Amino acid sequence: MPTVSMTVNGKPVSAEVEPRTLLVQFLREHLRLTGTHVGCDTSQCGACVVHVDGVAMKSCTTFAWQVEGCHVTTIEGLAKDGKLHPMQEAFREHHGLQCGFCTPGMIMAAVEMVYRKGHDLDEKTIREELDGNLCRCTGYHNIVKAIHAGARAMRDSAGA
Amino acid sequence: MTGTGIGAAVRRKEDLRFITGRGHYTDDISRPGQAYACFLRSPHAHARIRSIDTSAAANLPGVLAVLTGAELQADKIGNLICGWMIHSKDGSPMKMAPHPALAVGKVCYVGDPVAVVVAETLPQAKDAAEKIVVDYEVLPAVADPAKAKEGPQIHEVAPRNTIYEWALGDKAATDAAFASARHVTRLDIVNNRLAPNALEPRAAIGEYDAGSDSFTLWNTTQNPHVARLVISAFVGLAPEHKLRVIAPDVGGGFGSKIFIYPEEVVALWASKRVGRPVKWTCDRSEAFLADAHGRDHVTHAEMAFDDKGKIVGLRVHTIANLGAYMSTFSSSIPTYLYATLLSGQYAIPHIYCEVDAVYTNTVPVDAYRGAGRPEATFVVERLVEVGARELGIDPPELRRRNFIKSFPHQTPVIMTYDAGDYEASLRKALEIADYKNFPKRKRESARRGKLRGIGFSTYIEACGIAPSQAVGSLGAGVGLWESAEVRVNPTGSVEVLTGSHSHGQGHETTFAQLVSDRLGIPIENVSVIHGDTDKVQFGMGTYGSRSGAVGMSAIAKALDKVEAKAKKVASHLLEAAEGDIEFKDGKFIVSGTDKSATWADVALHAYIAHKFSGQELEPGLKEGAFYDPTNFTFPAGCHICEVEVDPDTGEVTIVGWTAVDDFGVVINPMIVEGQVHGGIAQGVGQALLEHAVYNSDGQLVTGSLMDYAMPRAGNLPSYKVDMTVTRCPSNPLGVKGCGEAGAIAAPAAVINAVTDAVGVEDIPMPATPQAVWSAIRSRAQPRQAA
Amino acid sequence: MAMTMNGEVRLQAPREEVWTKLNDPEVLKSCIPGCESLDKKSDTEFEAVATNKIGPVKARFKGRVTLSDLDPPNGYKISGQGDGGVAGFAKGGATVTLTPAEDGGTVLSYAVEAQIGGKLAQLGQRLVNGAAKKLADQFFEKFAAAVNPKEQA
Repeated sequence: MPTVSMTVNGKPVSAEVEPRTLLVQFLREHLRLTGTHVGCDTSQCGACVVHVDGVAMKSCTTFAWQVEGCHVTTIEGLAKDGKLHPMQEAFREHHGLQCGFCTPGMIMAAVEMVYRKGHDLDEKTIREELDGNLCRCTGYHNIVKAIHAGARAMRDSAGA
Repeated sequence: MTGTGIGAAVRRKEDLRFITGRGHYTDDISRPGQAYACFLRSPHAHARIRSIDTSAAANLPGVLAVLTGAELQADKIGNLICGWMIHSKDGSPMKMAPHPALAVGKVCYVGDPVAVVVAETLPQAKDAAEKIVVDYEVLPAVADPAKAKEGPQIHEVAPRNTIYEWALGDKAATDAAFASARHVTRLDIVNNRLAPNALEPRAAIGEYDAGSDSFTLWNTTQNPHVARLVISAFVGLAPEHKLRVIAPDVGGGFGSKIFIYPEEVVALWASKRVGRPVKWTCDRSEAFLADAHGRDHVTHAEMAFDDKGKIVGLRVHTIANLGAYMSTFSSSIPTYLYATLLSGQYAIPHIYCEVDAVYTNTVPVDAYRGAGRPEATFVVERLVEVGARELGIDPPELRRRNFIKSFPHQTPVIMTYDAGDYEASLRKALEIADYKNFPKRKRESARRGKLRGIGFSTYIEACGIAPSQAVGSLGAGVGLWESAEVRVNPTGSVEVLTGSHSHGQGHETTFAQLVSDRLGIPIENVSVIHGDTDKVQFGMGTYGSRSGAVGMSAIAKALDKVEAKAKKVASHLLEAAEGDIEFKDGKFIVSGTDKSATWADVALHAYIAHKFSGQELEPGLKEGAFYDPTNFTFPAGCHICEVEVDPDTGEVTIVGWTAVDDFGVVINPMIVEGQVHGGIAQGVGQALLEHAVYNSDGQLVTGSLMDYAMPRAGNLPSYKVDMTVTRCPSNPLGVKGCGEAGAIAAPAAVINAVTDAVGVEDIPMPATPQAVWSAIRSRAQPRQAA
Repeated sequence: MAMTMNGEVRLQAPREEVWTKLNDPEVLKSCIPGCESLDKKSDTEFEAVATNKIGPVKARFKGRVTLSDLDPPNGYKISGQGDGGVAGFAKGGATVTLTPAEDGGTVLSYAVEAQIGGKLAQLGQRLVNGAAKKLADQFFEKFAAAVNPKEQA
């Protein structure tokens, strides 16, 4: 079996895996990072979104070997030094989650949305950009509010 | 109200683990030595199984077992059951066909599990499932409920595929009311079939411990105790005291995780056979074939009005599709959770409803968010809206004329509404939606070439199904009370054990709010424990918006007992008569003195027991309660949907949503509003997007998220949510329940708005662009006479 | 829910020759898309293995190919039924009619009917019409090539 190596949440990792191993399986089963979820099998739900070199990616449709040598960030790696990421805080503050299953993917997608679209996100942009993430609980209302607030808070915390 | 007490928008205690990816959903759990299960499912909707050859699969590397219905029968594993008895009009009991966990002799729907492979790894299990050879004799199938009675007979016990032909109400009196009516509104309605699609797919880990001869099941269930009861008493896998069911974090349920499914039974059974823990995790496309669907009614309904626009009668005939087998609570959904709500918010003197439940070659149908009540509301609110249009009366005005205004109110369909103020929620909703300026907005839309419409839904629901005696008399196989235990630790912190289960509802927060409010202790000092049959003695779980009204009332009752016991302890500690002890703001005070003891003092003394003898008082501070309500609760409200339709494409855009709901006393408004948002989204999904479609061969052709349209952020607006409050008199907290309101109210509001915009009543759900465009065309080009 | 379609190919060979090739297992094997083996069980029955892909689902079908309604040299019905394991099943058939053309060649017209089930139907329903048409086109293109060897050059 081939060996894959990458950096996950700042730590170098390496393992022998079958070539067909998906990134999400590598994270969940080999590294026991179970915060990244699998909600579908057709790349529709976004519960599996992680960052690969800062870009949001659906880890259910990525082979582990495809991210050889890359920096992968999962939901477990978002908080730094015991302090929640502003987007995590915003989801809690604005009740942007209920059952919590879509939440890791939502937060990872939201953070990357800010990387791409900036800190002043209007409702229309947020709703369009969330096209790849499904939530069955919240009706999206509070997720939109959370991302709006989280985006601004990311600027404030970056400026601090 | 304290900062964390009843009525405060407390941020959720459970969120920290979810936003950091540290929740524990069933699939996140791995047991030492676990093996993996993969089910082979029928590709045919209806077929006889001539033979199953598992030999090639069994010889593959890593395969531990290949099991079929034959082994299930050899091990005398019992069938799955439906736990609510319904009798037909002629008095005969419903026709419940045997439902084995793995097919025996025949398959009855695409997805019916035929065999299971247990292997060292999941890929090995999947590879082996490919090698099982099943020889099928394909039989004709029927998927459409309207054609079920004439279709091929699916089960020996049910001629004409009829499970029951049930009726409620006084037929003769209703017919008489229609005979003397001034106007009758008639509608043919299809309540579209839905796939529940909780984001977390179902999963199960079965583990057998040979040392203690006992089983543990980790399972995505909304009611672990009911699962344990059914698996013990009916399936017969293990006696109840030898089976522990754990429902860890569960990623949404919406009804679909109430039921006891074949897969968890098989995972448990297989774990004993192979001597290893067995894990099964459902794929999404497998979930479309394996999770109970919702709705699927075909209805003809008629509403009779007098010359003043008063409703004088309602007649409904519904064919309800229950799928290929009767799921756990399926029989009750189109009967006692449906027909009993047909009076809506209106004083209707005569109602008669017939429901024919049928088998079809489709996955079983059971409760899905709202369960019967969205179907009833859709019938009533469409009839009222269309009736208003036909009579030329403003739809809110017609509703007003018919509202029930005094309580309690006995409807002709069993229910006694205990409290409500329907006029208040309608008035507030009309204000927020700015109804009086709607014509101006409609003209403005028209200038941009768009058709604007407004639709109302003044819904009612019955929540917190109870009391047990009443539901028992209607055929329920279980009681519908709830249990609670309050354990006070020597340091004063509190653990609350509840029989209800949280899978997104935020019980860890709201239940703690109740305790914090009542005992005056910080909310951080309260833990809520649920979802484990070894910790919580018994409970009925979470569905039907029951956890507040029933579950929290049980906690309130246990807290009463805790307070009474604590006062006894305090009286010894403070050397005062028990009757002189007051409990206020977390302190025990001797009336009229400055002598007091803190909560923590009393908790400690309850356990160290230095101040009283065991003969005077038992040490410890722990109380339990079972609470059985006196009635259902009746949340109600008014939702107003405003849409714009593009006449060129038929695309519907929701441009405004107003919801004013009366949920009684609100524990946490933030959480309640979140429940409303989610319910609306599911209702809008039903109205505009979602449809589980079977073709005439019984193949599910919307079997993935590429084909089944789930609402996305871009399909939905932001909602204006407000509340009115009438206290519920049927439980000590005055709460009613909020989990299903949006899903109940929304479909009728959307379709009423779309039909208003387009000017055609016959628009099906989901009102896809194609359906709406066709409706517009039918209006634009009236059929030529032949 | 059967899917149907019709088509027509002009072949530059006399009808009798076309008829013979239509009954030649080697020719059929080379024409059935993805066919790995075609074993003759009788004059009208074959056992076949073929691998095909419909939408996202790729499956190896094992099944039977049957010739019926034989009316030499006017035509027959060729039907197949394949079990693709967990991928589901596919079955279908084509009624083939041969009519002499004015130029001495033959007009082969066909009416195809196809049905799929299981995972194939679940995930591939939107694509089945296109896929079935493609498979039918492939079959008759290859068959035309087999009948008109010079066209291959």
